[in-house]
Amino acid sequence: MIVFNNVSKSFGSINALDNISFEIKAGEFVFLTGPSGSGKTTILKMILRDILPDSGKVLFDNTDITEISLRDVPFLRQQMGIVFQDFKVLSERTVSENVEVALAVTNVSEDQWKSRVKHVLKLVGLASRAKLFPSQLSGGELQRVSLARALVVNPKLILADEPTGNLDWKTAEGIMELLEKINKEGKTIIMATHHEGIIKHAKHRIINLDDGKITKS
Amino acid sequence: MSIHVKTAIDAIKRSPFQAISAVFVLALTFFVATIVSILVFSSNALLSYFETRPQIIAFLKSDTANEAVSVLQNKLTLDTRIKDVKYVSKETALEIYKKVTEDNPLLAELVSPSIFPSSLEFSVTDLKLAEQVINDVKSEAIVEQVGFTANIGGEKSLRDVVERLKAISYYIRIGGIVFVSVLGMTSFLVLLVIISMRMSTRKGEIEILNLIGATPTFIRTPIILEGVIYSIMGVFIGWTTSLILCLYLAPSILSYFGQISVIPKEPISFFVLFGTILGVELAIGLLIALTGSLIAVKRSLTKVK
Repeated sequence: MIVFNNVSKSFGSINALDNISFEIKAGEFVFLTGPSGSGKTTILKMILRDILPDSGKVLFDNTDITEISLRDVPFLRQQMGIVFQDFKVLSERTVSENVEVALAVTNVSEDQWKSRVKHVLKLVGLASRAKLFPSQLSGGELQRVSLARALVVNPKLILADEPTGNLDWKTAEGIMELLEKINKEGKTIIMATHHEGIIKHAKHRIINLDDGKITKS
Repeated sequence: MSIHVKTAIDAIKRSPFQAISAVFVLALTFFVATIVSILVFSSNALLSYFETRPQIIAFLKSDTANEAVSVLQNKLTLDTRIKDVKYVSKETALEIYKKVTEDNPLLAELVSPSIFPSSLEFSVTDLKLAEQVINDVKSEAIVEQVGFTANIGGEKSLRDVVERLKAISYYIRIGGIVFVSVLGMTSFLVLLVIISMRMSTRKGEIEILNLIGATPTFIRTPIILEGVIYSIMGVFIGWTTSLILCLYLAPSILSYFGQISVIPKEPISFFVLFGTILGVELAIGLLIALTGSLIAVKRSLTKVK
């Protein structure tokens, strides 16, 4: 599903990625690990086509996404679900509206919104919080909103950038349980984390990065 | 309600003072634009009245047969330089005389219809053609004499009136265009600033929408809709205010100008005029809103590195 082929990227004198290559197959759950600044987020941003590599190819479903036009970038992103460390929920919209936005973005007809939002909020355990605003939710609940928004569009791939980074262990465990459940349903998940406990507990493939190079894959 | 309309309305509700200032400036612009349009219409009507009022009177020989009068009347009617041809019989001339001298009935009693010549009155489509038309009419066999109201009332004064009206009409147009353009530019800039501020406050939201796959159109639509809402509200408030003002002043204006229709006397014509102004203003308002919003959005949208 995802292929990185001799990809390099530098920001000024800093080598964020140094000639890395790896492949992630459909249905896999992969951890991107490594210290801060090792290149985890750069990889996720490249898959999202938020940044371009200086050299090399990034393939998503056999399409070189470095070659696609700016006009097609939104349609690439619509096939992915993203979960961020800082949640990135829309603060002036309710929980259900935050999820609806993802459906609106992907042009899902409005008559399907209610049932799909209800289903996904039930899945992440936020059915009773649907009408609340983000300011009325805890960190774990905000991350569930982010996850619900990623899931509602039924993406092929879920990118999670430190989704447990701002959460306590118990809440992080809850999020991980959800991600495991989603992965078992056939979704590919790429999760950047440096949470040792989670990595050991989950026992999934690890791509470890250090200073822009892959040290374990 | 569409998610875009809802987003636009929510944004307006969140910053009511920005919304009020945008609508107020736009309403002021379109209020002035409506008033200027009416003034241009009125000055044109006034000018047209003075330019086309009956100016030439062809006094006919007393023994002229009715058939000959009809022939000349038809000939004048078909002449493209001439309009509003009207036959005034001896009797009608006496009636006009009596009316003019009604303060002194004795004067009317002393005269009979036979002393008044019958005449053909008409106006020219352009004052410049008057001299040429007079010469042509003078050569007609049944015409005794040709009078030009400018001669009767003073050629200089009539031309002066028309020239003065032309100058006034010109200044109203130029002044109006300049004034409305300045206000229009102010509205445009206010809209640009407000939409830019909106983009700035929505920066985080736009970033999120970008990352979850929103197309630029999806991101732009509510922001452009917000500008369009301000514009439409501004047009309607400005236009309605000037309509109410005109309806309130119409009786006084019509009574002051008498037979000159400086504003349409018929309700249908009146509302057709205002409807046309509304249509044009809506088009201009939308143009201002779309241009302002698109420029603001284009400047603010983050681009993929």
